[in-house]
Amino acid sequence: VILVRAGVVLALAVLVLAAVTNEARAAGPLDNAGFAKVITCSACHGQSGNSRTDMMPIIAGLDPAYFKKQIESYAAGRRASPEMEPYAKEIQFLGLDQIAAYFAAQKREPTPVRGTGDAIAKGKVAAAPCIICHGENGTGDPARLIPGLAGQAPGYLAQQMLLFKQDTREPDDQLLAAKKAVMRVIPDSQFAELAAYYASLR
Amino acid sequence: MASHAPMTPRTRESTTMTRRRFLRSASVGLGLAGGLAACAGTIKGDIAPKSGRRVVVIGAGWGGATAARYVRMADPSIEVVLLEPNRQFVSCPFSNLVLSGLRTIDSLTRPYDGLLRRDIRIVNETATAIEPDTKRVRIGEGYLAYDRLVVAPGIDFLWDQIEGLPAARDTVLHAWKAGAQTVELARQIQSMADGGVFVLTVPPVAYRCPPGPYERVCQVAWYLNKNKPKSKLIVLDANQNVVSKTALFRTAWQAYPNIDYRASNKVIALDTSTKEVRTEFDRVKYDVLNLIPPQRAGAIAVQADLVGADKRWCEVDHVTYESVKHKEIHVVGDATIGLPVPKSGNVANAMGKAAALAIVSLLNGQPVPLMPPGNTCYSWVSDREAIAVVNSYKIENGKVVQIEQKLTPAQSVSVAQRAEGWRLSIWADMLS
Repeated sequence: VILVRAGVVLALAVLVLAAVTNEARAAGPLDNAGFAKVITCSACHGQSGNSRTDMMPIIAGLDPAYFKKQIESYAAGRRASPEMEPYAKEIQFLGLDQIAAYFAAQKREPTPVRGTGDAIAKGKVAAAPCIICHGENGTGDPARLIPGLAGQAPGYLAQQMLLFKQDTREPDDQLLAAKKAVMRVIPDSQFAELAAYYASLR
Repeated sequence: MASHAPMTPRTRESTTMTRRRFLRSASVGLGLAGGLAACAGTIKGDIAPKSGRRVVVIGAGWGGATAARYVRMADPSIEVVLLEPNRQFVSCPFSNLVLSGLRTIDSLTRPYDGLLRRDIRIVNETATAIEPDTKRVRIGEGYLAYDRLVVAPGIDFLWDQIEGLPAARDTVLHAWKAGAQTVELARQIQSMADGGVFVLTVPPVAYRCPPGPYERVCQVAWYLNKNKPKSKLIVLDANQNVVSKTALFRTAWQAYPNIDYRASNKVIALDTSTKEVRTEFDRVKYDVLNLIPPQRAGAIAVQADLVGADKRWCEVDHVTYESVKHKEIHVVGDATIGLPVPKSGNVANAMGKAAALAIVSLLNGQPVPLMPPGNTCYSWVSDREAIAVVNSYKIENGKVVQIEQKLTPAQSVSVAQRAEGWRLSIWADMLS
């Protein structure tokens, strides 16, 4: 009898313990297999790809097709970047589709970096030619691989405009020919204002 | 290692009191880490009894702070206790800019508040021993029990490899751990007479931050060039050539005619009375000396038998960062050896994350994902331009293998701007 009772107590204890353990293992970021694949990225791109700095782009919420095109361009050296070329190859090793899906699913938080009111106002005026592709509110058009610019880190935006103008970013890409033509007629000094404007959009 | 003495009723009573005090301080959290430190060292027995699964982290630098943060992020049901004698985080990356007067040490100093907000308990104490069998970290006469331990001890110096250094270790500056020594070295450089000689010695590999000494050369040379044009900077490098970013540094140095770089010049002795260092071939006089001694893993790693046959560095599993010498103890950061990675802050951060997620997976009985590290490393070569090296990795058959190393084509302002972005992002990745 005592043995049986002890057995029941033991069984109950195991049940209680199991319940506690199950409860303890709350849903965490590790339940998303993508999380472990992107942990390197946050050193520059911030938590969940939401960079809070001027020069590092926000990659949270990026359209997956656009994300994949960029990583492939970085890895092939078409989009020249000493930082991103090695990491693009690491991403390909870990699984580009899964990582693109992971960042696409993250909620995008607009940059906290803000230009002056004057720069934003001047940028808004200068943005007229950009609206055709990037839209009235800078939301972009994923179907045509045109990224959203609203709330993006301004230092990054200004640098990319310069790279497009100099034709050092994906030089032979026909999809970008029209964009580069627009950039060529904009003076370099205006890039920071354009960037301040798009960074300020929500 | 000392075995744990059985507790008498009296010690149990005093332990309970101090425990209560510990818990009170810890639960108030913010700002009270200091108060906690005052009593933790005198506690006997269990400093903070374990209420659930617990990870203890030794060291809140780039690897340790990251590991503590990511354990809490990945599974908030796991308790984390972080042992760190320093009250604030001071970044080694960017600290060479304090020597040139371009940055203040305050601009590189951050509080640990973000970690306290994640309910990480910070104990401002030094671990004195590790007991792998009972899974305890000893702090004086007290201890902390753990389920898994992360050892992130950084580096310590091999003082006795240079004759005359052990006696002068409090006055000869290394400034290789950012903080008071960095500020003092900057002051010495600023007070040096125009025409004075600054001598920097570079230790043989492996040492913390391979490009660090050469960035320091750029910063001091830039400062002297501008403010003390008659002064000279002599670099005595134990290595055969510039260890990292070689061509880029060599190009950058062309702007500084005040640099006298001498490769294969290992310092073997020091005489502070004549202000002289001795290499195998030469005697070199200095006005200001910055002697970076040879290095090994932080003291606790050596004391706890985590280092290999070389008695210097810790070998680890490339996937979990578990020590090859002791189970359930993980080592991250500069203290490790055997991976094809530099001893950099970025790598320590990457190791901290991978170790944390491996630990969480293991504690939850889940498979450990493969998480190769990455290395992004910027060096400032003037007041406004920087260079960078980037390494990416994969894991093959359980071993970390480099995929690619890429350097910036030249020094530039835009690389320096990205260095700023990196600095802020990665500090947040460790401390927010």
